[in-house]
Amino acid sequence: MLEIKNLHASVDGKEILRGINMTVNPGEVHAIMGPNGAGKSTLSNVLAGRDGYEVTQGEVIYKGQNLLELEPEERAQRGVFLAFQYPVEIPGVSNIYLLKAALNAVRKYQGLEEVDAIDFLTLVRDRMKLVKMDEQFLHRNVNEGFSGGEKKRNEILQMAVLEPALAILDETDSGLDIDALKTVAEGVNALRAEDRSIVMITHYQRLLDHIVPDFVHVLSEGKIVKSGDKELAKELEKSGYSWIHDAPEGQTA
Amino acid sequence: MKQLTEITTPFSEVAANSTLPGAQLDWLQSLRQQARGQFERQGLPAKKVEDWKYTSLWQLSQESFTHDAKPSSVTKAQSANVALIEQAHRLVIVDGQFSAELSQLDNLETGLTLSPLSTSLDKAENLLNAHIDVEKPGLNALNTFLMQEGAYLHVAADSKIEKPVEILVINSGETDNLATHLRHLVQLEKNSEITLIEHYVSLQDNVGFTNVVTEVALADKAKLHHFKLQHESLKHYHIATLASKQAANSEWNTNNISLGGKLARNDIHSQLLGEESHVTLDGLYLLDGDQHVDNHTRIDHAVPHTTSEEVYKGVMDGESHAVFNGKVIVHKDAQKTDANQSNRNLLLSRTCEIDTKPEMEIYADDVKCGHGSTVGQLDETQLFFLRARGLDEVSARSLLTYAFAVEVLQRIKAEPVRQALSNVIEHRLPRGA
Ligand SMILES: Nc1ncnc2c1ncn2[C@@H]1O[C@H](COP(=O)(O)OP(=O)(O)O)[C@@H](O)[C@H]1O
Ligand SMILES: [Mg+2]
Repeated sequence: MLEIKNLHASVDGKEILRGINMTVNPGEVHAIMGPNGAGKSTLSNVLAGRDGYEVTQGEVIYKGQNLLELEPEERAQRGVFLAFQYPVEIPGVSNIYLLKAALNAVRKYQGLEEVDAIDFLTLVRDRMKLVKMDEQFLHRNVNEGFSGGEKKRNEILQMAVLEPALAILDETDSGLDIDALKTVAEGVNALRAEDRSIVMITHYQRLLDHIVPDFVHVLSEGKIVKSGDKELAKELEKSGYSWIHDAPEGQTA
Repeated sequence: MKQLTEITTPFSEVAANSTLPGAQLDWLQSLRQQARGQFERQGLPAKKVEDWKYTSLWQLSQESFTHDAKPSSVTKAQSANVALIEQAHRLVIVDGQFSAELSQLDNLETGLTLSPLSTSLDKAENLLNAHIDVEKPGLNALNTFLMQEGAYLHVAADSKIEKPVEILVINSGETDNLATHLRHLVQLEKNSEITLIEHYVSLQDNVGFTNVVTEVALADKAKLHHFKLQHESLKHYHIATLASKQAANSEWNTNNISLGGKLARNDIHSQLLGEESHVTLDGLYLLDGDQHVDNHTRIDHAVPHTTSEEVYKGVMDGESHAVFNGKVIVHKDAQKTDANQSNRNLLLSRTCEIDTKPEMEIYADDVKCGHGSTVGQLDETQLFFLRARGLDEVSARSLLTYAFAVEVLQRIKAEPVRQALSNVIEHRLPRGA
């Protein structure tokens, strides 16, 4: 599904990612953990194709294709989904309009017709249940006036409607109380599938109690310094991130 | 045809031939004659006048205008086609003439009077020029001298009128270079409520000139939901004054949308004269090519406990030029005033230009006031978000541009009007690819 090889990226001439290696197979859930400033969001943004990040070395192969040469929308249309750490408000655009436009963009790429209005409503209503969102949110402007938890659930709703092949969830757990966290986790779990890979980025291990990953990677100063299974996350919880500077470099899953 | 600077001459003949309505009313004749003198003394506003610094009427003064409209052949179908709201009480003016045939004035709801100004002048003496300053540089004096038609709208006390009223002003284009001078009078008695749309359209792409003054009087607890949609030809000149006076507990929600015109100028003046009165003064301008739109607004908080909210937004492309000058004056005794004003602009080209000046003059000390203006491009984060959801860049930009504009309409509670206006905006700024 996704292969990241020796990825180096800089922002404003400053190197942030310093040689990332990672392989994600279909159906796998990977957690990337790390302290603030480690480069987690930089990695997600580079994968999603945001401007302002310069890849200086390495490559990213997605479904056999060079991901980095694609525009952000081409990546999305091919099934790459980024749940934003800071969901974006769009006054003047209703949630339902966004969902429909996004779904139709994907369908157009797939050579499908625009979604039928009734099928679409049925689909959206169904997916809203997954994240326990009330229907009134459909007619509100995207994220405008939403609470922190509502914004994060809204990202997962978009994922649920678009059914991506590769979902990158950037700190979808941060700022959530325990109930909201559970809701989001249940939503994500429901979307786990054999042909769908999930990369979950988080600062805390508590999310991993609810969405159990197949692999855990520790990112520090732009490198993956340790990889392992879910037990690694537990270790991290006990000892924090302080030990990582002493860990041997370059271990990958 | 004569240039505007010379047009008083043919019109003194017109006036003598009594083609202007109300020739039999002495008070009106003397009002017209005074105004004529005023206009002849002051002429067109010069650029050295502060309020006209960014808007030159020089081009207008160089056009040749006529005031003799050929009989127009606008059909019912054409008129229905350009109307904003199908289900409305409608008064239609074509080329400066009231059209009974195209209007829908049957079955007016109880409490509503809607009639052409020309046949309502006997009721107008206390309203005419009660809200505007004829001395002010501009075309109020010319309008007073030459006003030929308009709408007279009266809502009786305690009447809530269900259907909106649409004043539809059609420039048929059948007479080239036609100048029209219109005056609308709107009077809401105590505790009455109505939705009013002033709608200006052209059927052809030729030169024309609309000079319009709208006067609004709101009694205690009256509520007016008011929309102005100016969608005239790109060669058209549109000079307008809109002025209101509000009594206690009254509410005026107005939204001023400029899409058309080569040059459009709106002078909007809201006077909050009764306690607990409120005005929402919103506006939107969507400009392209060499369009020029100048909105000058002024809100006077004259008494304590009044509130105002003002949001003007603009989307500009090409070599267009917009001017926003918003003045809020909080008078000495107007304690507990709550006033908020903003002007936000989205520039889509490097060659468009905006001169924005929000101003507050505050003479009371216990008030809550805020104002600001922004000029910018589309937000990069929003753009990336939409692209990360699969929308191509062109669609994402269109959607954000549309969204920026349409946000001004979201405060509108009357659903059919909001929908109709959204459609008009979407037609101009398609939101999808
Ligand atoms: N747009 C940017 N401009 C400058 N520095 C940036 C930018 N984005 C990220 N950085 C820097 O890159 C480093 C990694 O940031 P980020 O990827 O957001 O970390 P994380 O998500 O792991 O907290 C930080 O030092 C941050 O300050
Ligand atoms: Mg981050």
